[in-house]
Amino acid sequence: MLTVLAPETLLVVTALVVLGLGVSVPKARSLITIATLLGGFLAAAALFVFPADGNFLHGMVVLDPLARIFKLVILGLGLVAVVFASDSFPETHFAESLALILFSTVGMMLLAGTEDLLMIFIALELTSIPLYILAAFAKESRSSAEAGLKYFLIGSVSAAFLLYGLSLIYGVAGSTNLPAISRLSGAPDPLLIAGIVLTLAGFAFKVAAVPFHLWAPDVYEGAPTAAAALIASGSKAAGIFILAKILTAGLGHWGGSAGWGQFLPGWAPALALMAAASVVLGNITALVQSNVKRLLAYSAISHGGYLLIGLSSAGTESLTAVLFYVVIYALTTAGAFGVVAIVEKQRGGSRLDDFDGLANSSPVLALCLLVFLISLAGIPPLAGFFGKFYLFTAALENPSLLWLVALAIAMNAVSLYYYLIVLKHAFVLPAPDAICSAGSPASRTLVVALALSVLALGLAPDLLLAPLVKQNTKHSALQMRTLQVSLSPSLLLPP
Amino acid sequence: MSTDYLLITIFLAIAIIFPLIPLAMAWGWARLFSPAKPGKDKQSAYECGIESTGPAQIQFQSHYYLYALVFLVFDVETVFLMPFAAAFLKLPFSAFLALMAFLLLLVEGLVWAWAKGILAWK
Repeated sequence: MLTVLAPETLLVVTALVVLGLGVSVPKARSLITIATLLGGFLAAAALFVFPADGNFLHGMVVLDPLARIFKLVILGLGLVAVVFASDSFPETHFAESLALILFSTVGMMLLAGTEDLLMIFIALELTSIPLYILAAFAKESRSSAEAGLKYFLIGSVSAAFLLYGLSLIYGVAGSTNLPAISRLSGAPDPLLIAGIVLTLAGFAFKVAAVPFHLWAPDVYEGAPTAAAALIASGSKAAGIFILAKILTAGLGHWGGSAGWGQFLPGWAPALALMAAASVVLGNITALVQSNVKRLLAYSAISHGGYLLIGLSSAGTESLTAVLFYVVIYALTTAGAFGVVAIVEKQRGGSRLDDFDGLANSSPVLALCLLVFLISLAGIPPLAGFFGKFYLFTAALENPSLLWLVALAIAMNAVSLYYYLIVLKHAFVLPAPDAICSAGSPASRTLVVALALSVLALGLAPDLLLAPLVKQNTKHSALQMRTLQVSLSPSLLLPP
Repeated sequence: MSTDYLLITIFLAIAIIFPLIPLAMAWGWARLFSPAKPGKDKQSAYECGIESTGPAQIQFQSHYYLYALVFLVFDVETVFLMPFAAAFLKLPFSAFLALMAFLLLLVEGLVWAWAKGILAWK
């Protein structure tokens, strides 16, 4: 039992040690960062050293290979935020910011390894509360305070929605355990439908899907960039993972259908509507943004929409595709925020003008930005292309979803425009006079590593896809389809 | 079933009317026999606390919230220590260790707050 939670325990202990270092040697910031990373690597090692898969405390803690993959990804994203923190968090209370990142990461990891509604809610709160603090961490900055307050107020209201929804599901099913809930069958109780809708609303906040997206642009813009990176990557990956788990493992019977002309009530049509709204609104609104962090926020909203399309298709393969895509999206967006953090430190802002002439002043950084944004837009040979391609073809397992997929592909074409605007500022426009190189060597190296991993996952998606496919199909009775079959309709190539 | 609720309704009505009668009588008595003569001494808060000075809507220091948070550390501690102490003799040694770990966490919270200078009144 203890070994199952060993990674989380190690992270908590690391966070406590880091807090202690923060009050004993507050000036030694690199020492604090190294201690944090060391704890993180120990936790990652613990994920592999103790391979005790199983179900503990009646489903409160569940460890399987899929959860382990996600725990590893989330831990990695948390450590990415730790490295970027040295460039974007204020120097006072630096150790506290790292400890909070670790606490939030623990919450996300617990979220990935549970099958119990109560534990899901507690883990979600453990994820969110440090994130609220992190968003408001730059105390001198008004926009950071605004970001923290907005995130906190909207987040706590959505947590209330979620808790009410989960309590209604518990009321109908008589159990907080997801497999036990899935044994409930027959026509859905109206109370259960209300519970499902409220739960969806709570999670839609987490993944910033329209109409629960209003916090995202302000929070991404105002929060310290490392905090925004964690909110955009780790928190989103964990949220999508647990939402997929609740919907498939717990509420699988009440999916309904979002197909054109085949509408059936359930969570799928609700997700499909939110997905359509997110894809349209996110991409169109991103066109007029002048701040890159805000632009990334709207891009995050639209990517939340793409992910919800995969979930609303409710097939085994589309579930794999969603999990694959969310990992790729998280890596890419974390890298993009890393570039923004360095540019922000260099030029003092993250407006589009601040990216002028980036290719001259720091060519490697500009090249990494190119990789991340082109991957987000979905252009081969980068990971984002394959992720989107797989996601959309897998969603078409259910051919009546063509309307949604066609809409997403059309909007994806729109997205290329605003990503290219950023790149135009970085590569075409002339640089301003005063340029000084900035950003710690660690975060520069990490940005390059992330760009390389995005490229690698684009060239060899099997690295991540093979374990995901293996684990996902092992869980279901459905036969694994080979990729060749689903990749055949070549007319669906995203732009 | 319905008679039960009827009884409750009657009780409720009586419970509302009963205190209203003396209140109405007192009000009527005051209206009839005691003229209103407000004055400085009459309006004063005689034996009811200190005279207030200045407006009530002013800004005040909110440093208290930090003390409230640190207080919470001990508050939560007590809530968990009470049942532990009550069942202390029946618990295995591992429970003792678990609780000591819990106490250490809280102590670190306090030490951290102390080292950060939160306990010094500004």
